[in-house]
Amino acid sequence: MNGNIRTLLRLEIKNRFSNYSLVDYKSYFKLFGTLVITGAVIYALYWVAGLFFEMFDAAGLLYEALVLLVSLIFLFMLFTGVSSTIKVLYYKGDNEILMRYPVSGTEVFVSKTLFLFLTQFCVTAIVMAPFLVAYAGVSGLGTAFYAKIPVPILFLVFITFFLSNILAIPIMHLTNRIRNKFALIIIGLAVLVTLAFALYMLLFNSMVTFMNDKEFSVFSDEMVEIIENTAKWLIPMKYFADVMVGHELYVAYPALIGIQGLSLIGMILVIYFLYAKTLLNNVEVEGSAFKHVTRNRCRPVFLTLMHKEFLQVFRSVNYSFQYFVLACAMPVMVFFCNNITRELGQNQVGEQISLGMTMLVMLIFATVITSFSATSTSREGDNFYHTKVAPVSVRTQLFAKFLMYLLVSVGANAVCLAVLIGSEQMEIRDGLWLFAVVELCSVGLTLLSMRMDIAHPYFNLSGEGEVVNNNASTTMSVAMGFAVALTIGIVCMFLSYLGSLPKPITVPAGAFTLTLDMNFMFVVVSSMTGLFFVVSVLVYTIGLKKTYNRIAR
Amino acid sequence: MLEISHLYKKYLNSERFSVEDLSLSLQPGEIFGFLGQNGAGKSTTIKCLTGIYPFNSGKITICGYDIAKDPINAKLNMGYVPDNHSVYEKLTGREYVNYTADLYKVSKRDRNERFDKYVSQFKLTKAVDTQIKSYSHGMKQKICIIAALIHNPKLWVLDEPMMGLDHQSMAEILKRMDDHCAEGNTVFFSSHNLDLVAKICDRAAIIKDGKLQDVIDLHIKGNKETLEKRFVEITATEQDKINERTLLRRG
Repeated sequence: MNGNIRTLLRLEIKNRFSNYSLVDYKSYFKLFGTLVITGAVIYALYWVAGLFFEMFDAAGLLYEALVLLVSLIFLFMLFTGVSSTIKVLYYKGDNEILMRYPVSGTEVFVSKTLFLFLTQFCVTAIVMAPFLVAYAGVSGLGTAFYAKIPVPILFLVFITFFLSNILAIPIMHLTNRIRNKFALIIIGLAVLVTLAFALYMLLFNSMVTFMNDKEFSVFSDEMVEIIENTAKWLIPMKYFADVMVGHELYVAYPALIGIQGLSLIGMILVIYFLYAKTLLNNVEVEGSAFKHVTRNRCRPVFLTLMHKEFLQVFRSVNYSFQYFVLACAMPVMVFFCNNITRELGQNQVGEQISLGMTMLVMLIFATVITSFSATSTSREGDNFYHTKVAPVSVRTQLFAKFLMYLLVSVGANAVCLAVLIGSEQMEIRDGLWLFAVVELCSVGLTLLSMRMDIAHPYFNLSGEGEVVNNNASTTMSVAMGFAVALTIGIVCMFLSYLGSLPKPITVPAGAFTLTLDMNFMFVVVSSMTGLFFVVSVLVYTIGLKKTYNRIAR
Repeated sequence: MLEISHLYKKYLNSERFSVEDLSLSLQPGEIFGFLGQNGAGKSTTIKCLTGIYPFNSGKITICGYDIAKDPINAKLNMGYVPDNHSVYEKLTGREYVNYTADLYKVSKRDRNERFDKYVSQFKLTKAVDTQIKSYSHGMKQKICIIAALIHNPKLWVLDEPMMGLDHQSMAEILKRMDDHCAEGNTVFFSSHNLDLVAKICDRAAIIKDGKLQDVIDLHIKGNKETLEKRFVEITATEQDKINERTLLRRG
C-alpha cells in the first residue's frame, strides 16, 4: 500500500477511535466498559434472534424468517453505508484540510474508501453473527451452515458497499434540498419513528405471546401465506439466505455475482464522473443556510426568549429529533408499551397493577424527553455570553427555556392521556390523576436536569454549533428519571395491589388505624410526587443565580 | 459614563490576579483605546464590565448604575461586541438583530430606522435575511455590531473589533465609532493596533500583567507620535530591553 494512503488511513482510524486511546486507567476502564456493553448487546441480540426463529419455526416459516432478517440487515447496512459514505467522503470537514497537503485526491479517496469498507465489513460481521448463530441453533444445520456463512457475508458487504457509493450522491442532493424544510423533516421523522416503533412493538407482542405458549403458532393461516409470498419476492435479499441454506444455488450464485458486478461498474462510473465534482462543490458551498425573508417584528422580552429557544431547537435536525420527534412519537410508544405491560401484568399479578404499569411507562418516556433539558445551558456554546450581557435577569431567561420544555411535556402527556382514555385503557378520573402525577414528575425532572447543567455546563460543541455527545448531566438526568419512574411506579403498583384485595389490610398507627385501600395508594403516590416536586423546585432555586454567575465563558 | 474603581479579578484555581486594582473613568463623547499585550488583562476587564465575569472586589458603574447591584439598568445602557463574533447562527441576520432589539425594548419605529441605516451602512442588505451560519467572518462581526447598536447604547464596548477584518470593513466600523461618539456616546475598545488607537482615540490606557500602567491623553501634542514608544517601554520585558540595546550598539 502507498505510504500516503497508509498514513491517511491510520489518521482516519485514529480520528474515529480517538475516544479510546489507552493512556490511563480511566481509558482502559472505558474500553472495558464498552466491550462489556457490546458483548451484552450481542448476547441479547442472539437471545432475541433465537426466540424470533423459534416463533417462525413453529409455523414452518424458518427459511422465510431468515429471508426477512437478511432483508432487514441488508436495508440497515445500506442505510448506514450511505450515511457513512456521505459523512466520510463528501461532508467531513477534513476534506478541506487534506486538500492543502501534498497528497493526491486519489490517495485521499482511496484511504477514505478503505476506511469505509473496513467499517462496513466489521459492522456487517458484528450485526449478522448473533442472528446467524441463533439460526444455526434453531435450524440444526450446525457446522455445514457455519462453513457457508463467510460467502454470503462477503457478498453482502461488497454489494451494500458498492450500492452505498452509488446512492450516496443522489441521496445527499435530496437531503440538501429538504435540509431546511424543518417542519417536513420533523413530521417525516415522527412518522418514521412511530411506524418503526409500532412494528417493533407488534413483533415484541407476538414474541411475548409466543413465550407464554410455545406450542401454538402466533401466525394465522393468512399471515403464513403473506409471509411466504413476501419472502419469495424479496429480491436480491433472498439470494443471500439461499446461499446460506443451500437453496436454489444455481439461481442465487449467478444472481449475486451479477448484482455485484453491476453495482461495481455503477460505483466506478459514479466515482469517475461525479466524485471530484461533488467533493469540490461541498467544500466550496458554505453550510446549507436558508433565506427567510421577514419584516422587523417586536415581541415582548419573554416571548422573544422563547421564540429564539424554539428556533434553536426547531432549526436543528439533531435537536428536533432528540426532542420534538420523540415528544410527537411518545403517545404511540406509550399506547403500545402500555398495552403489552398491561397484558403481562394481568396474566401474572392481576388487573389491579395496570395503573402503576401505565404510570411507569409514561414516566420512562417522560424521562427520555425531559433529559433534553440537561443541555439547556450547554447548548448556548459560544453564545453563552449573550445570556450574561442581556439586560434580562437570569431567572427570566431560564424560565423561558423551562416554559418551552413545560409546553412540550404538557402537550405530549396530554395526548398520551387522550390516547389511553380514547382506547379505553384507562378511566377519565384515573387518567387525570395520572396526568397530574406524570406532569409534576416531568417538571421536577426538568428543573433538576437544568440545574445540573448549570452546575456543570459542557460547552464543547461540534462544527454546526450543536451538542453532539451527551454530557454527564444528560446521563444523570436519565438515571434519575428512571429511578423516580421505578420508585413511584412500583409503589403505585404495590399499593394498588394491596388496595384491591377483597379484604383491605389495616395497620394501627398511634391513635389512628390506616386502611391500605385504593385511597391510601392515591394519597401515598400523590404525596411522594408532591414531595419530589417541592424538593426539585428548592434544589433548582437555591443558589441558582450564584451558580449561574460562576459560569465563565 | 463608565467608572471602574479598584477592580480586582482572580480566576478560580489561579494564584495571581488577572486584573489588579484597576481604575478608569470614561467621559461622554470620547473614544477610549485599551492597549496591552496578549494575556495582559484587557478581555478580562471587558468581561467584568459587561457582566460576563463576576469580580472579586471593586466597583463598576455604567451611566451611574452599578453592574453588580443593578445589572439590568447598567446593561440597558451598554452595547457589547465580543472578540469571537459569536452569534446565534441558526437565526437570520434580521432575526438576530430583532431578538436583541426585543431584549433592549427598542420601539418599532427606532428599530426600523436604525436597522435600515446600519444594514445599509455595513452593506449587509442582501445577506440580512439569510441564516448567519453562511456569513463570512467580517459579516458576522458586522451583524454583531448592528445588534450591539440597535438600542443606541450610551456605552459601546468592543473587544478586539478589527481582528481579521479587511480595510473596507475596518473603515466602516471606524466611521460608525466616530458617528457614535459625535452623538455624545462613549466607545471603549481593546486593540493591539497602536496606529489605529493613535489615529482615532481621544485617550488610551495601557495595561500590563493586570495592572493599569498609564492613561495617555492623545490630544496632548506629541502623545500620538510617541504612543508606540511608550507602549514598548511599558510592556517590554527585560530581555526585550537587552535585545534593543544590542541592536542599538550594532547601529
